[in-house]
Amino acid sequence: MSTRRLTTVLMGALPILFVLAIWQALCSFGYAPPSLLPPPGKVFLRLAQQLGNVGFLDDILATLIRLFAGFLIAVVLGVGIGLAAAVVPAINAVVRPLVQVLAPLPKVALYPALIILFGFDHASKITLVTLDALFPILLSTYYGASMVEQKLVWSALAAGTPRWQILFKVIAPAALPSILTGCRIGLVISCIVVFLAEMISSTDGLGHLLVGAARTFQTVDMFVPLITISLLGLMLNGLLYGLRKYLLRGFPEV
Amino acid sequence: MRGKVRKLSPPSERQATGGRMQVPLRPEIDTGTGATSGERARAMIEIASVSKRFETSGRKSHLALSDINLTVNDGAFVSILGPSGCGKSTLLYIVGGFVAPSEGVARMKGAAITGPGPDRGPVFQEFALFPWKTVLGNVMYGLRQQGVKRTEAEAQSLRLIEMVGLKGFEHFYPKELSGGMKQRVAIARTLAYRPSVLLMDEPFGALDAHTRTRLQNDLLNIWERDRKTVLFVTHSVEEAVFLSDKVVVMTRAPGRIKQIVDIDLPRPRIRAELLLDSHYQKYVVDIERMIDDGRDDAEHS
Ligand SMILES: Nc1ncnc2c1ncn2[C@@H]1O[C@H](COP(=O)(O)OP(=O)(O)O)[C@@H](O)[C@H]1O
Ligand SMILES: [Mg+2]
Repeated sequence: MSTRRLTTVLMGALPILFVLAIWQALCSFGYAPPSLLPPPGKVFLRLAQQLGNVGFLDDILATLIRLFAGFLIAVVLGVGIGLAAAVVPAINAVVRPLVQVLAPLPKVALYPALIILFGFDHASKITLVTLDALFPILLSTYYGASMVEQKLVWSALAAGTPRWQILFKVIAPAALPSILTGCRIGLVISCIVVFLAEMISSTDGLGHLLVGAARTFQTVDMFVPLITISLLGLMLNGLLYGLRKYLLRGFPEV
Repeated sequence: MRGKVRKLSPPSERQATGGRMQVPLRPEIDTGTGATSGERARAMIEIASVSKRFETSGRKSHLALSDINLTVNDGAFVSILGPSGCGKSTLLYIVGGFVAPSEGVARMKGAAITGPGPDRGPVFQEFALFPWKTVLGNVMYGLRQQGVKRTEAEAQSLRLIEMVGLKGFEHFYPKELSGGMKQRVAIARTLAYRPSVLLMDEPFGALDAHTRTRLQNDLLNIWERDRKTVLFVTHSVEEAVFLSDKVVVMTRAPGRIKQIVDIDLPRPRIRAELLLDSHYQKYVVDIERMIDDGRDDAEHS
């Protein structure tokens, strides 16, 4: 059991190691000048040093706060609205056209307006993360809840479940696989968007660090926040994967 | 009386049978049911002039059931037999209260059926178990909905799980069980809340032949104990004759009742004996002929 798990982790690590090897090769064989592309060893060394630096940790914390707050609000709203739309036709009639108009909209375009509304600090960035992560979560919740096997609902009704409880007792748990898939997509988007928002305008956070380093051509320091957000994304995804595995233990093929 | 009939048999008796076959008719329960002997059989389900029309998209509406009249007596095992698409499931769903008839009315103990209720327990071909619940969780579900306390519901469910032959699998998830085991769980889940009527829609249709016969035998044994009313949809003639008191033969769409055949074979029915019984064989052949009459093309899904 644990050896199989170890094998899976190693298999997953292989492609990443491969990319790192190419990166190293590009530097070693002189395809990319070290001033533009620093070797991975140097970047990871710098990252290790930075982890002892309180200022750097504060930047990570700022990014994490925005990421989590934005993502969690998106989960609550997305799951709530998605379930409500799947169950109540009137709500669906309102939500459907709104989603069709708003989902394809590039939310970053709203960012200047959000800054004017909420200022430069957390609130504007959290809102942007929420807006971007919301739709994949909402849509997959809606489709998951709409496609619940009708006989599950019938079985529950026949067993004496009141109609108003069907949403919580049958539809939501039956739609859980889709909901969690939406959350996974939403989480990846949250990582991207929080970084992007901090790059556009911020006084702290990993995105801000990158922009600052780029302006002064400190290429090693430019790669450190990039690697950091990737590692954070990897860890958060791993956590969500574990949660998913636990919550969906009864469902086939997880 | 009714309450007593619907109760599970006490543990001592169940232990003796252990969920296996060869359960002789137990006299005290049989007299308790009363209705079986035919004197003053009460109507449990009445289906009066029921038609069902589906509005299909684009083309004109589809008449799935046409003028169905059927009475099912308390304690009777009645099968509905017919080619696929003739409206068997629809008829069962109407009795379940899941689907409303377009015309006519279905009654349960004299009261018009307006929706699902725990007096009518469905068992579907697709099992429809809750994948997020264990075997025990699935079987307990109905009892908990009825307001039975957790410990009591658990104790009753464990007894039922043992009765359907799944002792030791209480904490398995449905995905970890074979098709036959899943259907046993589904039957236990429905029996748990003690419906007066079992509505079974091709419950063994998705199972292999061997599993199917075992479940047929086990179902008969369970039924012999408490003589619930059963409405059983199938497209297997042998299955219908083997299990039923009455076989309702339906026509190809639009579904009408072609004929109702009383199956006058002694109970308890032992498969090995029945298969050699010429009366049984005659029923099967007669009904098969009845279905073949006026059938143009052979198979049809
Ligand atoms: N919800 C529905 N909407 C439209 N047509 C339906 C619906 N349910 C069943 N039908 C149609 O009604 C007919 C009878 O279906 P069904 O009761 O499932 O038949 P059976 O169980 O005998 O195979 C079929 O032609 C089927 O296509
Ligand atoms: Mg059917």
